[in-house]
Amino acid sequence: MKVIVVGCGKLGSALALELARRGHGVTVVDIAPDAFARLGAGFEGRTIHGVGFDRDVLEDAGIKRVDAIVAMTDSDDANALIGRIGRTRYRVPQVISRLHDARQAHLYRSLGVHPVSTITWGVDRICELLSFHQFEEVLTLGDGEVEIVRADAPTLLIGTAVGGLNVPGEIQVVAIERGSHAFIPLSGSTLHDRDILSIAVMSTSKPRLKTMLGRL
Amino acid sequence: MFVLIIGGGQVGGHVAELLLAHGCEVTIVERRDDVLARVRQDAPGARIIPGNGTDPALLEAAGAASADVLCAVTGADETNLTIATLGKFEFGVARVLARVNNPRNRWLFEADFGVDLAVNQAAVMARLVAEEIDDVS
Repeated sequence: MKVIVVGCGKLGSALALELARRGHGVTVVDIAPDAFARLGAGFEGRTIHGVGFDRDVLEDAGIKRVDAIVAMTDSDDANALIGRIGRTRYRVPQVISRLHDARQAHLYRSLGVHPVSTITWGVDRICELLSFHQFEEVLTLGDGEVEIVRADAPTLLIGTAVGGLNVPGEIQVVAIERGSHAFIPLSGSTLHDRDILSIAVMSTSKPRLKTMLGRL
Repeated sequence: MFVLIIGGGQVGGHVAELLLAHGCEVTIVERRDDVLARVRQDAPGARIIPGNGTDPALLEAAGAASADVLCAVTGADETNLTIATLGKFEFGVARVLARVNNPRNRWLFEADFGVDLAVNQAAVMARLVAEEIDDVS
């Protein structure tokens, strides 16, 4: 895949390095020539010094042939603009613009650009991590009859089969997150320490589930 | 005639003064505190709103939906283009004028970015200078 990354800051340079490491053709554009130092000596992609919405710069970067353009500058206006240029002027298949001020998400959408708010992502992810130790409702289905909840694997059940938690028609473990992976367990799958369970539960059976998980 | 001006610097302030003298209703949006003080002095008849002109909520509060003309005249082309796009496609402003700061960015000031009229100071000046030289020679 050929990708243009505009903005060689901490995030832009890390993205460019990762894409290059995965074998993609990367061209990095930045207005400050010393920004490219962040890429280190081993970077195999191209670097272009210039304004990220300048026609000559973009065409030199190959915008007519790329598969994606990612706008990672520190200006929301510039990111939105670069995204819109990619989308409307060059029909780049994938356009991603970083959004700093989450309140401006509406602006990006008005401009037809998909906003990626790294701050919102970070906040959401940290909240998720913090809530691992709670019995957390993540999804309510229908009129609230069925809920999907997340919880730590109960210490007492570690080493036993997941099926021990399932109650037909009431409680069903639907997924397990283990480290950075997730999978759908069989009833015979063994629970490990620090597993995080996603459990579908009838709302009427929640007290029973809480008891089973040792949270009264 | 209601004109909404984004950017209250020397250009925006001057445009506001002229329009007020012509009897227009003028609202100016300006982000910088020091510039706000001056534009309040220069264009006392204008309604002045402090804030960021690329914030859709602020544009709405400034009356973008009822503006006859929107002038995006900040000193940053990416900001002017963003404002023009919002003004035209989000608020449906009939006439959108945008200031071109760097002539290299002129290619973007077109209808697909919501711009009805691009005001390219450098090009105007270059043309005047060229005409002057033609006249002399």
